[in-house]
Amino acid sequence: MKTGDRIPAWEVPITPTLVVSTAIATRDFQDVHHDRDLAQHHGSKDIFMNILTSTGLVERFVTDWAGHDTDVKGIAIRLGAPAYPYDALTFTGEVSSVDDGIATIDVKGAVSLGDHVVGTVRVSTGSIAGGAA
Amino acid sequence: MTHPLSHERIMAEAERIKALGETAEREARDPVNQPTINNWLEAMGNDNARFRAGAAPPSMAQVWTMYGQGGKPSEDDPLHGMMEVLTAEGFTAVLGTNCEQTYERYLKVGEQLRVTTALESVVGPKQTAMGEGYFVTSRNTWYVADEVVATMLFRVLKFIPKGAK
Repeated sequence: MKTGDRIPAWEVPITPTLVVSTAIATRDFQDVHHDRDLAQHHGSKDIFMNILTSTGLVERFVTDWAGHDTDVKGIAIRLGAPAYPYDALTFTGEVSSVDDGIATIDVKGAVSLGDHVVGTVRVSTGSIAGGAA
Repeated sequence: MTHPLSHERIMAEAERIKALGETAEREARDPVNQPTINNWLEAMGNDNARFRAGAAPPSMAQVWTMYGQGGKPSEDDPLHGMMEVLTAEGFTAVLGTNCEQTYERYLKVGEQLRVTTALESVVGPKQTAMGEGYFVTSRNTWYVADEVVATMLFRVLKFIPKGAK
């Protein structure tokens, strides 16, 4: 892994099933993530993806590319446009630095309304350290 | 504009709650476990074999201590407390803006987590595209016994929705 390496774009179709199943799998029962009537009552266009899922998909995007043995040290994201069903979430990424065995990868996840998440993922470039596998 | 007295009350409460430090400690409902990991892997479409061999996905850290259906923060929860102060001052709407998680190591199936919450900062009032509001940052720290295994800085904008009086 070296500075400037790009991760091939990954497009995730956002379905109601994805939004609901990930919300429940992350044990997030806020109505805006599974009940469209209530989401609209709260002023939202539709149900929308929760933050734990945006973070989980960022993890998958980076580790599917870097290798499943890669240790993720941190994920920092800024949240923007909501990810609504019937849209697509497209991730892109690029290694911005490699220092002392830690690579920092700039990641963006965009939807039709704009950037849904923008952030960085730090991964260990060495072998698994302190892993449980 | 936010009334000066309102701002004074908000910042005084922020200082009081910040001074509580790490508090509102609670235990995960269940230990880190394979069925919960499997549900998460299926939903995320994640097929990393490592997570079927004893390790838990790092970004699941927060999942273990979620309140669950019908669960609520305790009255002494710093983030909850700060939200109530701002709601009472008219800042009724909330929007997550930043989430920064750090993983000290991967969790193992069978480990029991606990989490604490601290109020890190309250900054405002700021004029934003959403309306006037305060940025509230909290810090969660996850422990296995006395070992810190993960932390999260979480920032929300607590604001007066545009058009509201």
